[in-house]
Amino acid sequence: MARRTEKNNTRTNSGLAPLNSNTPVTQPRQKRKNRLGEIEFVDYKNVELLQRFINDQGKLLPRRITGVTAKQQRSVVEAVKRARQMALLPYVADNLS
Amino acid sequence: MALNMYDMLYILNPVLTDEQQKSEIERINAFITENGGTIQKVDTWGLQKLAYPIQKKRNGYYVNVYFNAPGEIIVRLKRLMEISDNHLRYLVLKFDAKMTRNYEKTASTSQEEAQA
Repeated sequence: MARRTEKNNTRTNSGLAPLNSNTPVTQPRQKRKNRLGEIEFVDYKNVELLQRFINDQGKLLPRRITGVTAKQQRSVVEAVKRARQMALLPYVADNLS
Repeated sequence: MALNMYDMLYILNPVLTDEQQKSEIERINAFITENGGTIQKVDTWGLQKLAYPIQKKRNGYYVNVYFNAPGEIIVRLKRLMEISDNHLRYLVLKFDAKMTRNYEKTASTSQEEAQA
């Protein structure tokens, strides 16, 4: 941060408009707690569980949101895709209807 | 011959009558047992709403079968369901170490639930 303000100063000195120093520092998106715990495998038939890992549109949520480990996320992704094949979960959900 | 453990889920056509559904399940189970496999568990979920329409149908009759079988018959089993008009979808998974552990864990908990 200190470096950036220094830069701003030099720019002001050179006659350019200062970069907006009031820009709020973007908050890190709130990460959900790892709800899987120590689970090592996610069953595609467990629709209730899988629903936590997709959004209203039926899209998979990224790991930065779900907060699970990389290993678990891979398991989740596979399970969601299998569940979609078997029409347990939608490929695209029309959240308006 | 080495037997593998499989988890199979298939969706039967909801238009079928109860008897037809039963005979269809029987047919699949018979195929497995006749070819050197053994059925572990048949779990009929029954009529469920599909997440999206398949062949213009909004519901499907789900059947979940756990069985042991030699690997060679799986291709034929899949073909059987592929040909049949009664099956909307199917998914056969071979158990790996993780799945087996998970299955054993859930099997023991679901038994406790059933007793409660």
